[in-house]
Amino acid sequence: MTRLRAYPTLVIGLVLVTLAVLLAVLSPYIVPYAPNTATPDVEMAPPRLTQIPHLLMQGAPVHWFGTDAAGLDVFSRVLTAPRTDLIIAISANLLSMFAGTLIGLLCGFYRGWLSELVMRISDLVQSFPILISGMILVTLAGRNAGNIILALGLLYTPIYVRLARVEVLSQRSRGYVEASRALGMREIVIAARHVLPNSLAPSLIQASVMVGFGILTTAGLSFVGAGVRPPTPEWGLMIAGGVDDMIQGQWWPSVFPGVAISLTVFGFAALGNGLERLYAR
Amino acid sequence: MQGSAAVSILPGATPALSPPVVAAQDVTITYGGVVALKNFSLAIQPGEIVGLIGEAACGKTTAALAMLGLLRPPGRVVSGTVTMGGADLLTLPREQLRLLRGRDVGLIVQSPRGALNPLLPIGRQIATVYRAHNKVSRQAARDHALAMLRRVGINDPERRYHAFPHEISGGMAQRVLIAIALSSQPRLLVADEPTSGLDVTIQADFLDRMWRTTRAAESAVLLVTQDLGVIANYCDRILVMQAGEVVEERRVPAFFRGPTHAYSRSILLMQAERGAERLAAPAADTAPLISVRGLFKRYKLRRGRATLQAVGGVWLDIRPGETLGLVGESGSGKTTVGRCILGLVQADEGQLIYRGQALNLAQGLPRSLRPRMQIVFQDPFDSLDPRWNVADLLREPLDLHTKLRGPAQQARINELLELVGLDAPTALMRPRQLSAGQQQRVGIARALACEPELIVLDEPTSALAPAARTAIILLLRSLQQRLGIAYLFISHDLATVRHLSHRVAVMYLSQIVEQGDREQIFAHPRHPYTRALLAAHLDTDPTHRRPDHPPATRLEGEIPSPVDLPPGCYLAGRCPSALPQCRTEKQELIAQEPGRLVRCWRATEELTA
Repeated sequence: MTRLRAYPTLVIGLVLVTLAVLLAVLSPYIVPYAPNTATPDVEMAPPRLTQIPHLLMQGAPVHWFGTDAAGLDVFSRVLTAPRTDLIIAISANLLSMFAGTLIGLLCGFYRGWLSELVMRISDLVQSFPILISGMILVTLAGRNAGNIILALGLLYTPIYVRLARVEVLSQRSRGYVEASRALGMREIVIAARHVLPNSLAPSLIQASVMVGFGILTTAGLSFVGAGVRPPTPEWGLMIAGGVDDMIQGQWWPSVFPGVAISLTVFGFAALGNGLERLYAR
Repeated sequence: MQGSAAVSILPGATPALSPPVVAAQDVTITYGGVVALKNFSLAIQPGEIVGLIGEAACGKTTAALAMLGLLRPPGRVVSGTVTMGGADLLTLPREQLRLLRGRDVGLIVQSPRGALNPLLPIGRQIATVYRAHNKVSRQAARDHALAMLRRVGINDPERRYHAFPHEISGGMAQRVLIAIALSSQPRLLVADEPTSGLDVTIQADFLDRMWRTTRAAESAVLLVTQDLGVIANYCDRILVMQAGEVVEERRVPAFFRGPTHAYSRSILLMQAERGAERLAAPAADTAPLISVRGLFKRYKLRRGRATLQAVGGVWLDIRPGETLGLVGESGSGKTTVGRCILGLVQADEGQLIYRGQALNLAQGLPRSLRPRMQIVFQDPFDSLDPRWNVADLLREPLDLHTKLRGPAQQARINELLELVGLDAPTALMRPRQLSAGQQQRVGIARALACEPELIVLDEPTSALAPAARTAIILLLRSLQQRLGIAYLFISHDLATVRHLSHRVAVMYLSQIVEQGDREQIFAHPRHPYTRALLAAHLDTDPTHRRPDHPPATRLEGEIPSPVDLPPGCYLAGRCPSALPQCRTEKQELIAQEPGRLVRCWRATEELTA
């Protein structure tokens, strides 16, 4: 415990990320209302503090965050959304980290025209804003979670290629690589056994931050109408759905999912920062 | 010596006790609760040079910086004073301390390039510091900077004044630093391992100049070093530190006659030998274990427009159980020779004859030969995978080249650890948890694992502190006697080469210039470069100090670049005995007496005359 205290961002990050993951797993069992079933209360404001004891006494489940224009319970939907957002962001990153690290390892270890070509292609991919190219890809392939994962996975891969390649380049000139070579070990074995494990730290740190960005992009895609389809409980969709009513003072359908996104993204960023400090020791 | 007033015996030349330039009294410094320096006291007289020696992380640098009133964060002064000119540097306000620095005190640090501003010409940097402390005009500061450059031995100062740090060599950068440090004639100069990155000839040259300049200015000098040769030749007094404490303080001659502390004795262990001990050598007619024939390695630079010749035709033999010392300064190509023999660097041309079997070095080595020839690296930590523990590191070669598995393998690992003097629990430690000396032992154990016949030792002791260095040399020697391994010992350190080698080859600019047995090379060098190299070597003999006996052979200028080599003898431009035809005629290795080859026709002429 005393050691953890030296890394406050790691602790904050762990708490927020754990919370998000727990919600993704357990939300069906803890939410007061079914996220996609309309209630008779339409556009109901969140309860004021003074009303809470009275509401609790009534025994009926409370609309803690109010309800939206369709009468859906905002609280239940905010809590259910990590199922979609987190799964998309994490899967896309796992996919791109796996592919990117492998490609980066090979490009860094075997340098030639092919590895140059791969690097230029990844430059090309990176030169488009992710949200724009994500929109195009998802629109072409069809709006569903699987396609979003594939599209984001593809777009994030160059980041990991670059990270892994730089690290591999610095590791392969290290003495222990030459020592293994002097022992007569095959290059591919050296790459897998020595270079890869020593090159992973930056990718892992980056992954934590990137999951946060992934959530942001997933929500962004839904916001512009190129993400998952309504009425899936998803933060970006919820914000988009509530935007029209914001101007009339009905802030709750949009603000609560917005805060949820902020907290989650911050949690992953903090975790990444904490890991970085931990590795730097 | 205990904290008391630190009245020290003065160098013979200074007649009476003058007040010390600087006096530290009972200084204790901690880093986050850990004591880095404990009750440190030291007074330095005008014109006195004090040497400070000790292991890595023993508090040397902390002590040196404290003498200047400098602290590295998060360091904290717990007690003590550093008095200079009536003021306590440790409590002096920042602004006053700043005025003192550069005017009354100068600092020379280890990495010369890192200490210079890369964006300013070197002359401007000297002039700026000078103007910060002296009320002079721009023109006067410029003239002074030029004078300083000339004084530290930089040729053509008018042109060098405008050179940027990246345009000058490391040795020259170090001289610029000393010019900055000495520009205002400081009363105290602190030099923290000023020569540890420099070649032998440049190191000697640098220390000579520092010695002369500070003696002339009556400056007090604190010289932090890990090199006993530097202490013996240039210092008046020595302080030995261990774990933040001064464990011995003596005058230099007395120290080398009989050190009292156990640690001091351990670092002086090798000195008694002076290479006079007999190493059991294989008979001269033994067939060589390996022979290298016509080894060439060139690198294409600037997209093929220039060629760097790293190795330009090397022939050498190593007999079983023999050590061949390969000596040369940085850039001589000695490391590339070792790498090419092992096939770690692919040669352009060259043949390796291993036990009568001829192999083409330009095509790489067959895998079956790998376990026969191994390597130990310069940087022990870098050569071990940081994520693996010692047992795993040793298991790797065993898995690869032997049939030992399970308990038999474990037994072999324990045996290897014992061979290199490590205890069994070390097996579960990671490289980070070991000292540099222990890491190098693991490196040696790994090289030994598949019972090689030859080990290339690439500067295996140069990253180590004095005590660890001695221990590794003794270990390598006893391993050779027990196991009969041949070594190719690559080093720039003549003292360790002399302790370990049966025969020695001297490299200069990609070629071997002289080869012979140890006595031939060390006692009667023939090639002008070998002579200069030996003359630049700092012997650990305080009765024959370099400033009192300036060497006869000195080379002019710096090592030329291995790109665009001169047409004739590569040394001709610097050689004191060069004749006009040396500049045009290529030199070949010529056999002189049995066992000796020299690449210099004048040396041969001298012999036959």
